[in-house]
Amino acid sequence: MLTIQLIINALAVGSIYAVTALSFEIAYESTGVVNFSTGQLVTAGALVGASVTAIGPHLAPVAYLAVIVAMAALGLLFFVGAYLPLRNRPVLTVIIGTVAVGILVQNVSLLIWGPLPIAVASPVGNATIRLAGLVVPTHALFVILVTMVLILAVYFLLYRSPLGTQFRALAQDPETARLIGVPVMRLYALTWMLACALAGIAGLLLAPMWFVDVGLGDSLALKAFAAAIIGGFGSIPGAIIGGIAVGLAEVLGASYISSSYKDAIVFALMILFLLFRPQGLFGERVADRA
Amino acid sequence: MKPATAIAGAAALASLGLPLVLPQYELRVLILALISALAVIGLCIAFGWCGLIQLGQAAFVGVGAYSSAILSREYGFGFAASLLSAGAVTGLLAVLIGVPLLRLRGHYLALATVGFNATAVIVISNAGDLTGGYDGYSGIPLAALFGIVFESDTRFFYLAWVILAMVSLGVVSLRASRFGRALVAIRDDELAAGTSGVPVVRMKVLAYGLCGVCGGLSGALYGHYSHYISPGDFDLVRSITLLVMLIVGGETSVLGAILGSILLSFLPEWLRFLGGGYLAVFGIGVLLVLVLMPTGIVGIVRRVLQRRGAAHG
Repeated sequence: MLTIQLIINALAVGSIYAVTALSFEIAYESTGVVNFSTGQLVTAGALVGASVTAIGPHLAPVAYLAVIVAMAALGLLFFVGAYLPLRNRPVLTVIIGTVAVGILVQNVSLLIWGPLPIAVASPVGNATIRLAGLVVPTHALFVILVTMVLILAVYFLLYRSPLGTQFRALAQDPETARLIGVPVMRLYALTWMLACALAGIAGLLLAPMWFVDVGLGDSLALKAFAAAIIGGFGSIPGAIIGGIAVGLAEVLGASYISSSYKDAIVFALMILFLLFRPQGLFGERVADRA
Repeated sequence: MKPATAIAGAAALASLGLPLVLPQYELRVLILALISALAVIGLCIAFGWCGLIQLGQAAFVGVGAYSSAILSREYGFGFAASLLSAGAVTGLLAVLIGVPLLRLRGHYLALATVGFNATAVIVISNAGDLTGGYDGYSGIPLAALFGIVFESDTRFFYLAWVILAMVSLGVVSLRASRFGRALVAIRDDELAAGTSGVPVVRMKVLAYGLCGVCGGLSGALYGHYSHYISPGDFDLVRSITLLVMLIVGGETSVLGAILGSILLSFLPEWLRFLGGGYLAVFGIGVLLVLVLMPTGIVGIVRRVLQRRGAAHG
C-alpha cells in the first residue's frame, strides 16, 4: 500500500520533471540550444502564478493562463535578446549565454518578488482522497492530469498539425527547411515562447507542493537534464519517460536506499547512461556523443 | 619580446607593490582573485586549448581544498606537502573520471560535468565524518614555508603571487610545446589531429588531468587562506563563475585567465551601489561580453596592439 502511495507521489514529481524536460527538449530539438536557464524560467512561472493566485483563491485556474501569456512574452524576449545574437556561436558560448539569461531572470525575480518563500494554493485545493486504503493528495492527481493534457497538446502540435510538420522539418535540417519556404525565424521565436510557457507551467504545478522562492527551479533543472539524458537527448517521448524515471528513482531511492543521497542516485544514473547508453532509452538521430 | 608580453610582465612586477597601497579589504579580494586564477588557468588548458567543456571545475577546487585540509589538520602535513598532495590527488581524480567521461563531446560532456559537480557536492555534504558535512571544515592550519608563517594578508599575497607566477610560466611554456600544439589541434579538428598522429584520447585525458591539478592547487590554497571551507563554496554556480572568468578574460590565454579572475572578483565590489540589482546587471554584462567581445579582454587588447603595430610598421 505504502509503495503504491509512493509511486503516485513519484509520478506527480516525475510529471513535473517531464514537463520541464519537455521545455528543455523542444528548445534543443528545434534550435540546437541546451537551455541552462530552464530552472530559472520554471521559477519565474511559479512566481507569476503565485502573484495571480494571491489576488484570490478562485483565480487559481486563471493563473495557468496568466503564466502561459507572461512566459510566452518572456520567451520572445529570450529569442530577441539572447538567441538571435548568439545563435551562430560555439556550443559553450551559447551555454554560458543561457546561464547568463538564467542569472538575469533569477535576479529580476528576486527584485520583484523578494527572497521570502510564498505559499501557493492549488486549483484543486489541498485535500486528500481516500481510495481503497490509499491517501492521495488531490494536487498530485491534478499534476498528473495536467501533464497528460500538455503531452497530448504537444503531440498534436508537433505531429498532427501543419505547424508541427514545419517544426520537424526545421529540427531535421534548418537550411533545407528555409529553402522550401518554412518561416524559420518565426518558428524559432515560437519555439522559445513554447519552451518558456512549458517551463512556467512546470513551476506552477510544483508551486503548491513546495514553497516558492527564487531558488525553486535550480535543482529542478538538473533533474530535468538528467531526465532528458536518461530518456534520450533529442527525443520528445524520451523526455517524458525520462522525467517519470527520474521521479521514480528519486522517490523510491529516498525511501529504500538513502534520502540524503537521493539526488546523487539520479546523477549517478545520468552519468551511467551517458557512459553506457548515451542515446538514452529512446535515442537520437544525430549525435555528438561517444 | 612582444609588446603584450612586455606590458604583462611589467604589470605583474608592478603588482608586487599592491599590498603597500591597497586597503586590507581590497587586498583580500585580490588574494581570492589570484587563488581563483589558478583554477581558471586549468580551464584555459582544458577548454581554451583543447575545447573540453568543463562545468565541474569547482568540484576539482573542492576536492583539492578538502584533501589538503584533511591532510594538514588530521595527518599533520606541512603546507608544501599538503598543497602538492592536493594537486596530485585532484589531478589523479581528473584522469580517472576523464577516461570514461571524455569520450563524450559537446552538450553531453557539459551535462556530464554538471552531474559530476552536483554529485561531488552531495558526497562532500553527506560524508560528515571525513568532511564535516554541511557544517563545513574549520581549523585548517596557516600556510608556512621555509620557516615563514603566512599569517598576514600581505604575506599571503606574495605566497599566492609566487605560486600563480610559477604555474602561469609553466603553463605558458606548455602552450608552445608539442603537447600544447596537440591540444589546439584537437580543438580545431579532432579527426585531422588524430590522422596526423596525435594520440587524441591520451592528450584529452592529460589536459583534463592538468585542469584538475590547477583546480586542486587553487582549492588547497583557498583552504589555507580562509581556514574554513564548506560544500557551498564548490557548487555549480562557482563552476560557472570560473568559466565566465575565463571567457571574459579571453579563453585561450593564461593572461586572460588571470585578468578575467581579477576583474570578476572585483566587479561585485564596484557594483555594490546597485544593491540587490547587482546580479541582474551582472547577467546582462555577461550576455553583452559574449555578444560584443567573443575573444575577451585579451583579444581586444591584442587587436588594438596589432592595429598600432600595423600603423607604425
